[in-house]
Amino acid sequence: MITRVTDKMKYDLLNNSIYNTQSQYGEIMEKMASQKQVNKPSDDPLGMGKILDYRTVKAQISSYKANIDSSKSWLSATESNLTNVNDILTKVKELAVAQASATATASTRQIAADSLQPLIDQMRSLANSKFGNRYLFSGTRTDTEPFAATSSTARIDAAVSASGNTFDGTVTSGGTYTGAVNKTYTVKIITGGTLAASTYQISADGGKTWGATQPAGGLSGPVTVGDGIDLTLTAGTVDLAANDMFYVHAYAPGYYNGNGEELSSEVGMGVTSNYNVTGEAAFTDQGGGTVNLFKVLDDLKTALENNDADGVRNQLDSLDQASEQINRYTAQCGTRTNGLDASNTALEDMDLRITGLTSNIEDADMAALITEYQKKQLALQATYKMAGDMGSISILNFLR
Amino acid sequence: MGDIGRVLNTTREAILSNLTALNVTGNNIANVDTPGYSRLRPEFGSTAIIDSSKEQGQFGIKITDIQRLYDKYLEAQMVQQEQAVGYNDAQMDVLNRVEGIFNESTGGGLNELLSKFWDAWSQLSANPTGITERDNLVSVSQSLASMFREKANELISIQSDTNNLVSDTVTELNKYIDEMVDLNTKIVETEISGGSAASTRDQRAELLKKISQIIDVNYYEEANGSLNIFISNGRSLVEGTNSWKLDVQPNPANSNYYDVFFQDTPGVPINNRLQGGKLAGLLDVRDTNVAGYLNDLNNMASTIINEVNTQHNSGYDLNGNVGGNFFSATSTLAKDMQVDPAIIADVTKVAASATVDSDGDNARLINNIKDSLLMAGGTSTIDNFYQTVIARLGNDVADAKSSLDHQTAIANQIQSERDAVSGVSIDEEMLNLIKYQAAYNAASRLAAIVNQMMSTLINLGIETAI
Repeated sequence: MITRVTDKMKYDLLNNSIYNTQSQYGEIMEKMASQKQVNKPSDDPLGMGKILDYRTVKAQISSYKANIDSSKSWLSATESNLTNVNDILTKVKELAVAQASATATASTRQIAADSLQPLIDQMRSLANSKFGNRYLFSGTRTDTEPFAATSSTARIDAAVSASGNTFDGTVTSGGTYTGAVNKTYTVKIITGGTLAASTYQISADGGKTWGATQPAGGLSGPVTVGDGIDLTLTAGTVDLAANDMFYVHAYAPGYYNGNGEELSSEVGMGVTSNYNVTGEAAFTDQGGGTVNLFKVLDDLKTALENNDADGVRNQLDSLDQASEQINRYTAQCGTRTNGLDASNTALEDMDLRITGLTSNIEDADMAALITEYQKKQLALQATYKMAGDMGSISILNFLR
Repeated sequence: MGDIGRVLNTTREAILSNLTALNVTGNNIANVDTPGYSRLRPEFGSTAIIDSSKEQGQFGIKITDIQRLYDKYLEAQMVQQEQAVGYNDAQMDVLNRVEGIFNESTGGGLNELLSKFWDAWSQLSANPTGITERDNLVSVSQSLASMFREKANELISIQSDTNNLVSDTVTELNKYIDEMVDLNTKIVETEISGGSAASTRDQRAELLKKISQIIDVNYYEEANGSLNIFISNGRSLVEGTNSWKLDVQPNPANSNYYDVFFQDTPGVPINNRLQGGKLAGLLDVRDTNVAGYLNDLNNMASTIINEVNTQHNSGYDLNGNVGGNFFSATSTLAKDMQVDPAIIADVTKVAASATVDSDGDNARLINNIKDSLLMAGGTSTIDNFYQTVIARLGNDVADAKSSLDHQTAIANQIQSERDAVSGVSIDEEMLNLIKYQAAYNAASRLAAIVNQMMSTLINLGIETAI
C-alpha cells in the first residue's frame, strides 16, 4: 500500500522536530550554564525535596556549630578564670602555711594579711569577670555582678512591678528571707480586677513553674510568696490585669548575688548542653559547692590580723577543699569542651556527608552533559539541513 | 450510426470536464496550507450509452462528483484528542507559573528563610540579652512573614487569573456555539438543494475541534447534515439550529470563584461534569492544585503562628513581662502573616527566657518547634512538610508536562494520519495537472480534427456544386 505523504505532513514533522530538539537543547544548555542537574522542582521532584531537606539539615548543623563555638568560648573563658583562681589559692595556701607555724609573729601575720587583700581582690575580679557583656559566674542573672566585696546577711531586693503591667499601683517587699540559696519569686495575675477580686499564682523559680491559682482576696493584704518573704500591692488608678507580673530577688546570707541556674544551648537535634559554671557551685558552699571561698579568705585575713595562729591553721583544710572545688569545676569545663568537640566532629562529618549527597542529586555530570549537548547539536543541525533542502527538492524543479 | 456533431459534443464535454478537474486541482494547490482543508478529487464518469443493435450510441464524459476525501473516524479521534490536549495545556500554563513562584533551586526561598528563622532563635538562646540577636530575629521573622504573604498573594493572584480565564473561555465557547449553529444552517441549506458544502464542512470540522479543546463533547451528524453536540452529562450544546449556552456565576462558598452553568439552569453548576478540555483543566488547577498549595501554605503559616505564639506566651521578655504574641494573631492565614507590631516597635519584648532572669531557655524551646512533628497529622516537621509540598508541586508539573507531551504526540500522530488522507500533496497535484492538461490538450486536438473534418465535409459540397 502506498502511504500518501502530503506537504503539510512534512512541514509539521519538521516543525515538531525542530521544536522538540530546540527545547531539549535548551534544557541541556540551562544545566550546563547552572552546572546543576535540578534547576526547577519538576526536573526531579523527589530530588528537589531531598535537596531542600539537606539544605535545612545543613543550616541546622551550622546553627548547632555556632552554638558549640560560643559555648566553647564561654567554657574556655571560665576554665582560664578558674585556673587563675586556683593559682591564687595556691599562693594563699603558701602564705597561710607559713603564717600557721610557730615562727610567725604578729608583725609577719599583719604583713601577710596586707598582702592577702590584693589576692582576694584579684580573685573577686576573676569571679566577677564578664564574657562579652555577661557575667560568667552569676547563673542566669547574667546582668548582675555575682560577688560583693563584703558578706551580707539575708536580704530582699525592692519588689519590681514589670514594665508592661496594666496595674499602676505599687508593690513593696517585706519579711526576712530564710532560704539557703538565692532565688527569684514572682507573682502573676491570672484574672484581673481590683486587688480583692484578682486571682494569682506564685513561682519560686523566676516564673518557670507555678503554684496553684490562689483565690481572690489574697492580694488585699501582704502575700506570702515563700521563705519568709511577702509582697504588698497598693492599688493605683488602674486595676490589675491578667499576666501582670511582680517579682523580687531574694539573697541568702553571703557574698553571692547571682543564682544557681544553668545556661544551656542546643548542640544537636534535641541535645542541650550546659555551658556555665555558676558562682554558687564554684565559689560558695551551696548548689554543689562545699566551701565558701570568699568567707574562707576573709576569715583567714581576720585571723592573720588578730595574730590568731589557730584561726589561721583552721583555714588550711578549707583552703585545700577550696582548691579541690575549683579543680573539680575546671575539670568539668574540660569535660564539657571535649563533649562539645566530639559533637562538633560528628556534625562536621555529617555536614560533609550531606554535602556529598546534595552534590549527587544536584550537581550536573559535565562529561555526560557535554556528550548529550553535542548529540543534540548534531540532531539540530540535521534537522536544519533537512529544512534547508526541503524547499529545493520538488517535482516543480523537474517540470518545464 | 455516426454523427460528427456528436463527436464535437463529446469533445466539448471532455474539454469542460478536464477544465473542471484543473480547477479542482488549482483549488487543492491553493489550499495546500489551509488548516482543516480536505482535498477534493474530481470523479470522471463516462456518459456513453451504446446500443450495438442499432449501431448507434451516445458517447461522452462528465464530472459525476467532486469528492471530499475525509475519514470521519480519524476526525472523531482528533476531536477526542483535542480535549486531552486542551485539558493538559491549560493546567501546564498555570502550573508553570506556580513552579516559577516556588522555584527554590537557587535558594533564597521560604525554605532558606525558615532555616534562618530557627537559627535566629538559636542565636538568641545563646545570648538572650543581646539586642543585636533580637534585632536580627525580628528582621528575619519579618522577612519570613513577608515571604509567606508574597507567596500566598501570588498563588491567590494565579487563582484569580485562572478564574478570569474560566469566564473568558466560557464566552469564547458561547461564540463557537453560535458559529456552529450558523454553519449547521448553511450546510443543511446548501445540501438540501443538492449543492456541495465541502468547504463549510471543513470549517465545521475545525470549529468542532475548537469546541472540543474547551469542553469534552460527544456529537453525531443527523441525516440532513446538521451536527448535534452534547456534553458528558447528556445536555446538548447544539441541536441543529438550537443552542444552549453556558454562563459563569461567582460561588460564595469557593472564594467567589466562578461556577459554570447552563444559562437556562442557573442553580445547577456543571463544574464536576466537565472532564476534559481547557475549561475542566482550568477549574481543576484552580480548585485542586493551586487551592491545595495555598491550603498547605496556610497550614504552615497557622502552625508557625500558633506554636510560636503559645511558646512565646509562656516566656518572659527582657523586662520581666509575660511574653505577648510574637506573630500577630488577628489572622493566621499566610497572606496576612505579620510579626506583632509591639515586637517590631520594641525588640526587648521578645520573650527569650523561661524565667524573669536571662536564661534564654524560651528561645531554645521556640527553636525546638522546628523538630516537632506538627504537620500532616503529626508525621512531619514544618520544614519537611514544605519540602514535600515543593516535591509534590514538582511532580504535578512533571506529570502535566509528560501528559501534555504524550497527548500532543498522539494528536500529532492522528493529525499526520488525517493529513495522509485529506491533506494536499503538491507532487500529486502537479502530476494531476499534467494528466488533466494532457487530456485537455488531446480533447482540444480532437476539436481541431473535427473542425477539419467539418470543413472537408463542407468543401465536399462546394466541389460537387462546381
